Amino acid sequence: MKNNIARIALFVTLLMTLPRQGNSQEAQRKNFLSCPVVQDTKTVPCWLSEYKGELYYLGIQTDISAEFHPPYLGHKVLVEGIVSDEPRICGGVVLKPVVVSPMPEPDSSCNTILPAVDKYTVPFAPRPPGPSGGTLAFQAPRRAPAAEQASTGPREFSIYYDFDQPVTGRHAAVLSQIVDYAEKIEAKRIVVTSSPGATKLTDGNLLTEQSGIAEARADEITQLLKRAGLVKVDFQIASRREAEPADGNEDWRSRRTVVRVEP
Amino acid sequence: MRIRPYLFLLTALVLLNSSPRMFRSAAFTINAWWTPGSGEVIRATIAYDNQYGSLTMLNTSGDVQTKGHAFFEPIGTNGRACVTCHQPADGMSISVETIRDRWRVTNGTDPLFAAVDGKNCPDLPDGYPKSHSLLLDRGLIRVSLPWPPKRPDGSAVKPEFTIEVVRDPTGCNNSSVYGLNSPSPAVSVYRRPRPAANLKYVTADGFGVGRFIAKNGQPAERDPETGKLVQMNMMADAREVSLRSQARSAAGGHLQLKGALTETQLEQIIAFENQVYAAQSSHHEAGDLTESGGPLALGPAAMAQGRTGVLGNNITNFVFPMGDKWKILSRTGNAERDAQSAFRESVARGHDVFFFRTFWIKDAMHLNTVGLGNPVKRTCSTCHGMHMTGMDTANGWMDVGTTNLPWAREAPVSPWSSETTDLPLFKLTCNNAVAPHPFLGRVIYTQDPGRALISGKCNDIGTIVMQQFRGLAARAPYFSNGSALNLRELVDFYDRRFNIQLSEQERQDLVNFLSTL
Repeated sequence: MKNNIARIALFVTLLMTLPRQGNSQEAQRKNFLSCPVVQDTKTVPCWLSEYKGELYYLGIQTDISAEFHPPYLGHKVLVEGIVSDEPRICGGVVLKPVVVSPMPEPDSSCNTILPAVDKYTVPFAPRPPGPSGGTLAFQAPRRAPAAEQASTGPREFSIYYDFDQPVTGRHAAVLSQIVDYAEKIEAKRIVVTSSPGATKLTDGNLLTEQSGIAEARADEITQLLKRAGLVKVDFQIASRREAEPADGNEDWRSRRTVVRVEP
Repeated sequence: MRIRPYLFLLTALVLLNSSPRMFRSAAFTINAWWTPGSGEVIRATIAYDNQYGSLTMLNTSGDVQTKGHAFFEPIGTNGRACVTCHQPADGMSISVETIRDRWRVTNGTDPLFAAVDGKNCPDLPDGYPKSHSLLLDRGLIRVSLPWPPKRPDGSAVKPEFTIEVVRDPTGCNNSSVYGLNSPSPAVSVYRRPRPAANLKYVTADGFGVGRFIAKNGQPAERDPETGKLVQMNMMADAREVSLRSQARSAAGGHLQLKGALTETQLEQIIAFENQVYAAQSSHHEAGDLTESGGPLALGPAAMAQGRTGVLGNNITNFVFPMGDKWKILSRTGNAERDAQSAFRESVARGHDVFFFRTFWIKDAMHLNTVGLGNPVKRTCSTCHGMHMTGMDTANGWMDVGTTNLPWAREAPVSPWSSETTDLPLFKLTCNNAVAPHPFLGRVIYTQDPGRALISGKCNDIGTIVMQQFRGLAARAPYFSNGSALNLRELVDFYDRRFNIQLSEQERQDLVNFLSTL
């Protein structure tokens, strides 16, 4: 009996705890639209953004090998991240992981460069602001195991976009992988499926991409793959009109095109 | 009879006076101008004087017989050859000084001034400097590009913007024969001839060249004859995929060749271009730039031996490996030697300004948009990163504002200014189906839309392929539109554009450094 009571008590406790954990995690998510801010340092600058009176750290300047690509002054930035428990960097609460997306329309009010001050340093910067030591800041991602690389079956590739944006330079790598794989398996069919994105902001508002963007992205991807040499492949294009429901959790994944390459 | 010695002397003086730069490798000085069809031999190594010292042209295959050679013979219908605009004395480009000299010596009858592109517009009256003002003032050749554009495979490009002519001093862009509304719609832009030397760097692939262009995600062009991806660093707008395609279109356009180049002619041109190197080799103030133990980057032999496709924006390769020897030089008490040492130290400092001096690079299309952020705190060598040339290792078009307003050099418009420009001005409006240009918005004014006239992309408006830094002393003016008349104006442009706040010493050091390349 005592054991049963103890089990029930534990179960109730767990039940009480779980939602709290969920709420806690939700509270740590920060999705907002704001101006980016540059905080200069003695080495490379930090990128920050302010939301509801709090300054958030997004990342530092490195080079093109970095996963974090800094946003643009002159534009607002859509920030989608989670508050980490790391110490502040450059005065900002650290968001990690974080996805930043420069908004397409210019906004001249986003123009803040804060001068370097001694108290902010970035000793972890993998490269200085000038010439490198001879290597890029980050290693290329490890390749998948040999067995997976040898696959000749259907394979899907996901292309994620900046908000309301088409293909940019950062997509060159995945586009190359698609063409490489299609040529390797002598693909007969490629299915291109695009979805418009929506992000639930922390203030409860929903930010949705412009109508028609999914069709435009699917068409663009198809044209790019054809121009890159996949002219004998049968392309099937599909696009969703409506964005997937957004819940604020990794909503950036909704802004995507999936390219399925089939033998 | 007694007048003959004086006639000889007078002739010699006229020759000297009419050609400020002299070929000085021979026992006597002669005019440096290389006349098409002269049939002379170009020596394996030949030095030409310029305002800073001398430039050496190096033919790695040895002496070149120009008689019957397609690069040197006037194979078209207008008397020009490739060499007309790619003069050895001018680092295989052509300086405005040389152009003006040819006008003076030939009274404007040299084939260089052919109406097709040596005039501001072909239908302007003959014999007037005004008809050739862009060539005479800025060294610009007219480039007529079809609108809308077509890809190398002939497929149509659907432009993302409309184009309107705002200013048309030459009359060519509103011309019913040559303009946008003519039966064959075309846009006339005006550009400097690029150096036809050191081309192994321009055509090599390497760091940053892949199936898709890392700057914009578009497919890189392929050479249809070889199937290979190309670097897309040739021409101001990267419209030519290979030296062969460039030779063909240049022969048909600039030389007005009827028919096509033969395979033999093509091979001659390409073989010559692939073996010729040019760089400054001596300097009035720095002395011999190629002396043993000196900076490894300098001189034409260094160019011939250098590695291609190598990213130099790092301290292992360097863009221009100068070494440390010139950084601190001892003084001897000999005024001439000490002045040379002081100048060499200035060159070394100039290199360090180029390589290490950080500043905020802001609103530069295809630099700030490639993952570095806007602004990015970097140096000159971030963009000018190719080992030995300072070009871009990747597909190299960028907009730093040389042709796009508000940064491009424009004549002041005011009641107190009489300065005018003959450059056209276009208004380009990006359509609503695409995102606006991130730094210039939807409406962009430009003197030359650059790569956008080929790609049709809004984000390419005003983007220009970077040029190599070699032989600069011999081929002013600079930038694709010749807007920097000398090296100081070039440096000042960047300082103004990016608010670098260079000191007077830094500016002079940079100029000195660039003058040795």
